Amino acid sequence: MRKIFTPLLVVAALPALAQSQALTGRITGTDGSAVPGVTIVERGTTNGVSSDADGVFRLAVQPGATLVISSVGYTTQTIAVGGRSSLNVTLVANATDLGEAVVVGYGTQTKADLTGSVATLSSKDVGNQPVQSFEQSIQGKAAGVFIENSSGKLGQGIRVRVRGVSSISGGTQPLYVVDGVPVVADNLSSTTAATNPIADINPTDIESISILKDASASAIYGSRATNGVVLITTKRGKAGATRFSVGVQAGWSEPTHKREFLNSQEYVSLITEALTNRGGTFAVPANITARLSGYAGGVDPLTYDTNWQDQVLQKAGFQQYDLNASGGTDKTRFYLSGQYSNQKGIIVSNQYERMATRFNLDHQATERLSFGINLTATRSVNNRVPNDNAFSTPMQIVALAPITPLIDPRSGQVSGALDPSTGLPNTGFPFYYNPLLSIQGGTYVTTVYRLLGNVYAQLNLAKGLIFRSELGTDVLNQNEEQYLSRVTSRNTGNTNGYGYNANQTNAKVVVNNYFSYKNTFADNHSVELTLGTSYENARINGNSVTGTQFPSDSYRTLDAAAQITAGSSFTTSNALVSYFARGSYAFAGKYLVGASARLDGSSRFGAGRRYGIFPAGSVGWLISEEDFLKGNKTLSLLKIRASVGKTGNQNFGNFASRSLFAGTGYVGTPGQRPSQLGNDFLSWESTVQYDAGLEYGFLDNRISGEVDIYRKNTTGLLLSQPVPGTSGFSTINRNVGSLRNQGIELTLTTRNFVGDFAWTTSVNASINRNKIMDLAGPDILGSALNRAQAGQPLGTFVGPEYAGVDPANGNALYYLNTTNADGTLNRGTTTNINQAANVPIGNPNPTWTGGITNTFSYKGFDLSATLVGVFGNQIYDSAAPYFSTGFNNGYDNQTRDQLNRWQKPGDITNVPKAVYGGGIGTGASSRFVQNGDYGRLRSVVLGYNLPSSLAKRGFLQSARIFLQGYNLLTFTKYTGWDPEVSSDYVTGTGNTSSNNISQGISFYTAPQARTYTLGINLGF
Amino acid sequence: MKKIVPGLLTAALLLGGLESCNNKLNVQPVSTIDSATAFNNSSDVLAGLVGCYAGLQSTNLYGGYLQFMNDLLADNGDESFVGTFTQPQEAQRKTLLITNTQVSATWLSAYDVINRTNNVLANIGKLDTPAQQASAEGEAKFIRSLMYFDLVRSFGKDWNDGTPANNLGVPLVLTPTLTVADAQQVPRNTVAEVYTQIITDLTTAEAKLTTGGPLNAFSATRYACAGLLARVYLQQNNYAAAAAAANRALASSSFGLNTFYGENFGYSTTNVATATVPINTSANTREDIFTIQITAQSGSNQLNTFYARNRRADVTVQQQFLGLLEAGDTRATLITTPTASVPAYTRKFDAQYGNIKLMRVDEMLLTRAEANFRAGGTPVGATPLADVNAIRTRAGLQPLASVTLAQILKERRIELAFEGFRLGDLKRNQESTTDPLSNATIPWNSPRLVFPIPFRELNVNPNLKQNEGY
Repeated sequence: MRKIFTPLLVVAALPALAQSQALTGRITGTDGSAVPGVTIVERGTTNGVSSDADGVFRLAVQPGATLVISSVGYTTQTIAVGGRSSLNVTLVANATDLGEAVVVGYGTQTKADLTGSVATLSSKDVGNQPVQSFEQSIQGKAAGVFIENSSGKLGQGIRVRVRGVSSISGGTQPLYVVDGVPVVADNLSSTTAATNPIADINPTDIESISILKDASASAIYGSRATNGVVLITTKRGKAGATRFSVGVQAGWSEPTHKREFLNSQEYVSLITEALTNRGGTFAVPANITARLSGYAGGVDPLTYDTNWQDQVLQKAGFQQYDLNASGGTDKTRFYLSGQYSNQKGIIVSNQYERMATRFNLDHQATERLSFGINLTATRSVNNRVPNDNAFSTPMQIVALAPITPLIDPRSGQVSGALDPSTGLPNTGFPFYYNPLLSIQGGTYVTTVYRLLGNVYAQLNLAKGLIFRSELGTDVLNQNEEQYLSRVTSRNTGNTNGYGYNANQTNAKVVVNNYFSYKNTFADNHSVELTLGTSYENARINGNSVTGTQFPSDSYRTLDAAAQITAGSSFTTSNALVSYFARGSYAFAGKYLVGASARLDGSSRFGAGRRYGIFPAGSVGWLISEEDFLKGNKTLSLLKIRASVGKTGNQNFGNFASRSLFAGTGYVGTPGQRPSQLGNDFLSWESTVQYDAGLEYGFLDNRISGEVDIYRKNTTGLLLSQPVPGTSGFSTINRNVGSLRNQGIELTLTTRNFVGDFAWTTSVNASINRNKIMDLAGPDILGSALNRAQAGQPLGTFVGPEYAGVDPANGNALYYLNTTNADGTLNRGTTTNINQAANVPIGNPNPTWTGGITNTFSYKGFDLSATLVGVFGNQIYDSAAPYFSTGFNNGYDNQTRDQLNRWQKPGDITNVPKAVYGGGIGTGASSRFVQNGDYGRLRSVVLGYNLPSSLAKRGFLQSARIFLQGYNLLTFTKYTGWDPEVSSDYVTGTGNTSSNNISQGISFYTAPQARTYTLGINLGF
Repeated sequence: MKKIVPGLLTAALLLGGLESCNNKLNVQPVSTIDSATAFNNSSDVLAGLVGCYAGLQSTNLYGGYLQFMNDLLADNGDESFVGTFTQPQEAQRKTLLITNTQVSATWLSAYDVINRTNNVLANIGKLDTPAQQASAEGEAKFIRSLMYFDLVRSFGKDWNDGTPANNLGVPLVLTPTLTVADAQQVPRNTVAEVYTQIITDLTTAEAKLTTGGPLNAFSATRYACAGLLARVYLQQNNYAAAAAAANRALASSSFGLNTFYGENFGYSTTNVATATVPINTSANTREDIFTIQITAQSGSNQLNTFYARNRRADVTVQQQFLGLLEAGDTRATLITTPTASVPAYTRKFDAQYGNIKLMRVDEMLLTRAEANFRAGGTPVGATPLADVNAIRTRAGLQPLASVTLAQILKERRIELAFEGFRLGDLKRNQESTTDPLSNATIPWNSPRLVFPIPFRELNVNPNLKQNEGY
């Protein structure tokens, strides 16, 4: 039986006993280079150290001791000391180390004994990347975990989906747990563009990430586990000399792609055609000339050729500095870190700046008692841009005509700036509000201070029996400060400035108390038990003030506002009381059984159903430990496992079960109104998940991986069901309806070359099929064409099917798709979009996603490249009705593909006739739906490690220089800005159903950033 | 000893936890309150009534969109929407899509207000005094009638189009929705049924408010009830009743025409001459019978957002309308002078926090004039000529010696332009409008001039029947 090792025990290392013998050793890799940070533990004790930068360790051991030597990414070795005083160990790299400790809920388990599906990632996968939040770094690296960055805006919400979307009206993001504390991940943005509180966690501090995917792994988190659980463990100190590490990185970003719009010549010619086609007074040549001259600021329309897109997209700098120190003694160990990162956006005026510090301390007080603290304090400052649907958002500048000058020659100022003679906007010039004015005269800064951490005490009660108590807190204080100066008055009103200031505090207290017991009886019976309770209380309170009438634009805070136009405060809270238990049993290290259960009581549940129980069970068989396979070099690992369990989702409004009234004053007189219809039996969404997995290794694990197949049946959806508006309400909350996710996940790691030249390939692929089984009521509509419809995946685009252009007259045609009397489908066409039946015309959910990471190393050089892919999904370009309809919606500048418009009878094209304001083909339909498949070279890192002999001359332990490219190449046929897109204004609203349903929408959404950086890491 | 400690610890945690956790889970909302406690006493009911007015203020209703969409749907070239929003564009083209989000939002907001009034009406008995009870009932019924009248006019065929008793109007919901079971899939009532309900409610309201009097400065009065009745009767071509109701609406001695038309929109004769007037408010005047109040702290004037030339400048005033104005008409000062490259804009909604003047004396004078004229016989209150001349003189025009129906209607078109009257007037006068693309004539009773029942509603309520043409 393999000895069980856990970091917890290392932490609780006992002082060396008197009769011990001194041992020194050195750990090297197969290439002969030192391996630092390896954990060396005396088996059966908690006595251990870790190797230093030269791979050297010193440890006092009992005579006859056996050492367990382990490190993430290497095969664990067990070596009997046998009286030796020095020991040299060569560790073999191994991607699937069965001895590896995997962090699971409330403890750790050895990989070999694991019967659940857990994706693990290490510090190598995160940190050092030019991104704001760690999720961006693990895109395409974990099977079954789909991650989508909404746009090129910085610090914005990120969609993370573990094994599909299991909720329609509830939250769909996983539960994030940092060092045992479930953290605040709620979007606190005042706009409908979500922000991402997870970005407050410094990726460089992360030691490991475990993503609990199946029910047996996640059910210990009960009513919050359905969307998966992401456990983040931060770095801890190890006994030994204090080590410092410095990282410096700098570079720049640019947009992945720009879109082509009409230039002046093309604009004038196409809009003239469109106005002529419109007829009447529009078509009178003198009127056309006057109109275009008006757009151009009173001069000949071909005087200017402004590329507005270039005015808001930019090349932007990035810099990041990291410093950390770690070390300690046998009794007290610490890890200290600090980071400053500053990333400028590819969208002008957008910036994200973070200062993060961390302090982790562990202390062994007595033989039995240890305690410690994990604490991080972060300040992030995000200079934000308005949401995609605001006239002032930079990307909407593309609507302006290219014939409009950037600088109005009449005033010498940016077009649209206030008329100096009146102090008022120039009526109707440019024809839309110019977003550059908001960049020039507006600021919107979100500042977050966050304190996240916990203290713990751990009592070693008896052999293998530990009691651990954790008290955690997460306090997030956010301030949003906005000022819009006079120059923006066309957009905000002529109010002599506009100021907005909002504060929110999202505070959470978590108390965990649990026993864990690990022991092995009679060599063959290995038992692990966990039993505990947890209490959580979360409270959000906030306030905001809005004011106008500032003496001048130099005053930007509300104490100078002569008129306060709005003020508000709110408080909301929830509590969760839980009991949990987990047990696992392994016989002879090959027959594995596990079970867990959690009882959750939540204040969010209706008075009639306060408590829910979430059990799970699993079995596993490590076949390669059987006699007939043991030692087999060809089939070196074979394990099968299966699990079933029930999890919940309670990620919905705090008082969703109540019938509520809200205050609504009217010009200074108090008033109230009904705001919600309640349901006393409102409860969690329930998901039963089945999972079967196979872990394999061939040729001494040179080829290894896992295959998982799963099905998640979610019933009793907490559905915000639409009701007839005649009731005075638009929705009610009910536990009805069901949906299903099922899929296959595959990972494969091959070590193609080992030795001096090493080449490793890691591949993962995931297929998830989402299907709404039943809604027990009407379809739920999202933004534009997205819908929740029974029998279809969530968010399916349902709408009229575009049938192209009538060659005779240039009209847009739509398929009727109605049912004929004989039951057949009527494929006749109509020009009246209202007559066309709504049919499924696209699916925003990818059919499969995957990633390939290749890592090469030779001597001091290493090269790593990650290619990710998303396939089979469609995107609806919600802005196309404005800019890709041949002026049929007005004067907005058009995309160049509109030059293919129908012009004369007989023309065969997909672009209807250009008629100014004609409304031809502008309705939402499959015309604006296109495939969103893409492959992307997410990251390429080329590094060089200075030989330690050379480094030491500079008094350094290690030195590494690296060159990095992020989003270097994109392979796609999608014609919009960027296929990795999710418009923020439809996904961060107060209507969660709509947020979940409205997937795959682009609406003037900024492209992603392509970033190049150069960095250096020094250790001393 | 060492074994007892953890034992006690465990017991305390597990048992202590169980006992106290029910309390811990009993978290009460504080930003909102439980419905059960919403109507405990008299002041709660009064607050509920104020909530109804706040509902009317919604941008989807009289905050602006309702008037705006109706005007665009009726318009035959007086104005032109040049903005980017597709919802008003569809209205202007008279090709509303069933998915038009504004049409759907207006429906939802209107029934939200109706539910608020139904809640108040169900709790009238909790008010302290009979006078309060009478007032609150009157005000709530006025508000409910206002909503139903605009709903039935927008979503149903006109009263004079076919048989109102057979034409579908909108569902009548007259009781509050208190539980999920109350959220019924109600069918549409007929146009006649809806009008009957409106007239019954308004008649009651007028009587109740005569007894009780208004509860707040912004409250609907008996005069507002009469004024709304005048609108309703006029829409039915019931001229005698309309004239009588309009006359009752004008009966208060505190009402009268302002000396200058622009005073209704925040201007004075002196400041209107300045090309750019930074006005912020337009308070109530003696000409106002019922207004939607807007302040910097309360509500948002959507008409300002769309029409004001210093805001989006989304609506231009066309030559066709300018041509209606006689020389010297001071109402022309509320329209900017067009130049070769800058078109004309209305200045009526330049005040960002301007009250929205929903019912004024000038409307009632014109209604009384028209109704008296068309009813024939002895005029009620004043002669049509006198009423029209009151409007003309105020506008700086010469009084007429005699008046025709066309002249009355022309004054009405100018006086109430861009304020949401065109569609109703066009239909009851059986005028036509034009398709702005094809220039084809669209008759008053075209299905294109009726809002579609929103797709959102059809989706959730199979008992609703879609309008013809959608």
